[in-house]
Amino acid sequence: MADSSGSLDIAQLVELLATVSSFSDEATAAQGAVERSAQALEAEVAAVVSGGIVAASVGFRPGEVPERTLVDVALRRHDGIEVAGLGRCHTVTAPLGGDRAGHLVLARHRAPFSVEERNLVRGMARVLELTLTMLRTLSAEHDMRRRSETQAAENAALAASLRHRQRLLEHLFDIQRAITRRRPLQQVLDMVTVAARDMLDGDMVVLWLREAQDADQARIASSVGLPAEVYGLPAVRLADAGAAGHAMRTDSLVIAQGAALPPPLQDGPCAYLAAPVHEHGAVTGSLVVAAHHPDRSYGPADEQAVRAFAEQISLALNDRHTMDRIHEALHDGLTGLAGRKLFLETLEQRLSRAAAEGGSVALLYVDLDRFKDINDTLGHGAGDQVLMFTADRLKSHVRDGDVPARLGGDEFAVLLPDVNGPDEAIAVAARIVDALAVPMSVAQRRLLVNASIGIALSDPDGDEAERLVHRADLAMYEAKRNGRGRFELYVGAAVEVPGQPALGARPVPAS
Amino acid sequence: MGVGRDAGTDSGAATRAAAAQALRGDDTKLMIVFSAITHDPAEVLAAAREAAPGVPVIGCSTHGEIAPGGPTDGTVTVAAIGGPGFTVSTAVGRRVSGRQREAGMEVARCVDEVDAPHKVLMLLTDGLIRDQESIVRGCYLALGAGVPLFGGAAADGWRMDAVYLMADGEVLGDAVVAVTIGSEAPLSVAVRHGWRKVGEPMMVTSAANGRVYTLDDRPALDVYLDRLGAPPEAYTDAAAFTEFALPRPLGVQRRSGVEARNLSTEVDIAGRSIGGGMALDHGGLTWAMTGDQESILAATDAACQDALDGLAGRQPVGLFTFSCAALRAVLNDAGIRRESEHLAKWAGDVPYAGFYTYGEIARSHGIDGFHNQTLAVLALA
Repeated sequence: MADSSGSLDIAQLVELLATVSSFSDEATAAQGAVERSAQALEAEVAAVVSGGIVAASVGFRPGEVPERTLVDVALRRHDGIEVAGLGRCHTVTAPLGGDRAGHLVLARHRAPFSVEERNLVRGMARVLELTLTMLRTLSAEHDMRRRSETQAAENAALAASLRHRQRLLEHLFDIQRAITRRRPLQQVLDMVTVAARDMLDGDMVVLWLREAQDADQARIASSVGLPAEVYGLPAVRLADAGAAGHAMRTDSLVIAQGAALPPPLQDGPCAYLAAPVHEHGAVTGSLVVAAHHPDRSYGPADEQAVRAFAEQISLALNDRHTMDRIHEALHDGLTGLAGRKLFLETLEQRLSRAAAEGGSVALLYVDLDRFKDINDTLGHGAGDQVLMFTADRLKSHVRDGDVPARLGGDEFAVLLPDVNGPDEAIAVAARIVDALAVPMSVAQRRLLVNASIGIALSDPDGDEAERLVHRADLAMYEAKRNGRGRFELYVGAAVEVPGQPALGARPVPAS
Repeated sequence: MGVGRDAGTDSGAATRAAAAQALRGDDTKLMIVFSAITHDPAEVLAAAREAAPGVPVIGCSTHGEIAPGGPTDGTVTVAAIGGPGFTVSTAVGRRVSGRQREAGMEVARCVDEVDAPHKVLMLLTDGLIRDQESIVRGCYLALGAGVPLFGGAAADGWRMDAVYLMADGEVLGDAVVAVTIGSEAPLSVAVRHGWRKVGEPMMVTSAANGRVYTLDDRPALDVYLDRLGAPPEAYTDAAAFTEFALPRPLGVQRRSGVEARNLSTEVDIAGRSIGGGMALDHGGLTWAMTGDQESILAATDAACQDALDGLAGRQPVGLFTFSCAALRAVLNDAGIRRESEHLAKWAGDVPYAGFYTYGEIARSHGIDGFHNQTLAVLALA
């Protein structure tokens, strides 16, 4: 899969949820779910198996569905399945929990299912389970309403259960919307813990996440019902993390009474429910719901809800991880600025837009003066600090909409997408030269790191990115030749002479 | 398989001439006619039926015809399949709009009438019907994974007014025509595109009924045009938008790669939303896509190679090559001539025929089979 596999997973789950929740009965929702799951995994076969029969399937001709084989695959009695016209296919299965047990089964001919895909199937089964349970409850309610009014009390209980499930689905929709809209991770995690307390009537809900450097340690990442100081506590060993540690070590749902929290936080015996949280298939944390009353009992509906919330956290973590990777691929890891690839793509787009509108794009090519000396004398750590300072100053002295980037080494660039003439670009370059002329505190020294800047403007009749970069580069070398710590404007190819940059009939004095 | 073509403007005469070139011997099992929208379909059909009495004739209108000698506009192009190794069966689904899936399931039944070790279901659809993917899904639901699907959506030279299909001796609209081709030798379906994604993804934050309303929580039309640096008139004029967007599809990440979605043809300037060939799903990520003549021609080569590789070592006897009408906007006339040269190179001595479509159908794995901005190839051995 491509670099965006995690986001792909999130999108697939949201799409599945949107698909199945649009159906009004169990049979069509199950059929919609199998088709959507097969589509997401590029599988030829998908089926929902429940109570020993195939409730919905795709990939077999009607009347030729191999029910017995699918049931065996669902129950893991064997792996793989023969599909007419294709041959032996790889299979994956995930349990549907809820009040009627079943399985989601998929089969694919070309390639076995990866760990991430198995994880996705598990998430899909969870979404399907919630929706089917909801539809079942709705259907039961309709039946109940048709009966006599003497059953009013039962109806009321049912209506309450229905409202409860409705609320759960609303919470899940809100959380998934927050994930897909890339709300900050902490905000999403807090949404989950608050929603879990609302749904499970817990006195406290705590999310533990394993430490990146030491998987045997975990710390609290989000909580409700605990004082804010818990976030400042040191990480604790899994063996000492009570219910959360138990769920993480066993990768299973834990329901028990006892200590839900490690000793410094312990506040008497609790009833608790802890579900593992996964990231790319590995257990990475645990969501714990606890009630101070030890007699509080948690039933199947609670288990289902806490698993669903834990799944949402897994989705958010996977998504964050994936977006980080996409961002890393396009941005410079040290400075956070756009990298060369993203910068050149953006430049191409802006140039084509400027050509269409008859406007101009300006490019500033920024090269630090004598950067190599800093690296050689003070070491690469100091050099990196200089680059970070430079990036910060570039960011704070460009205009809204300008795009600063690090092209590599000590070379930076700024794209000014919409300029009315050279004066605007000159003003920005002057600000940058001034800003970089202020000494930087690096390695207990105050370093003066100047930059030479070359400015080039695109031709209003159209231009190419490579050519514009080349011109700005030539102007930058002219700035270096003219004394460094200054900028020069490329003014046309008229004076292009071998051995001389094509510049500068009109050098502009720096600052 | 034989292929013929005639550029005459008299529909009947052109069809007779093309059919005469295509017909080889007296064991013809099927004639497939690709004719320009400028021809009279009733005359084309009548002439084709006269040329080979008793032989089933199917066909459709195009946005350009593909055959040895290069791409053309305005011709009648005929492919004839025959010989003892082939058996065929046709079916027609009528009044398809609003019941696309059901219609797909209906026409797929013609597969049962053919008894052969290798089968493919070829579909010709009305390219102006929405939700074409549901027709293909209906076929898959009826047939399961064992039968590959191939085909294309009839076009009308960008008039976007009315296309026509031909089958059962009738000229049809709002229909789907299916033919099962059964063969003693392997058949192979392949599809490829030449697009790659650029820049950072956009989130589909609102989409419904085949339209995209917002991307990254802003009006989809503006986000799309901003991202691609569109000229000002594309923001305000529907025709200018379509012209700009045709060669710039949006990409949807799938497990095995990015799929192109053409959202150029159904723009709502007032509502700032976009729509077209296929829907994007709410919550999904989408990328601006870019491609050029070289990348598209590389995909042409890859699709042909995949199709030929799928014949399990057997020599091909003919190819069907369905390319997307929107690709013509990128390739231009010189580019489609090069595309045809590439096709000719892969075909060698073997005849090939096809047309520029409003959507390509090719399913050999997974359950999806409707595509935008691709080349779909069916190889017969």
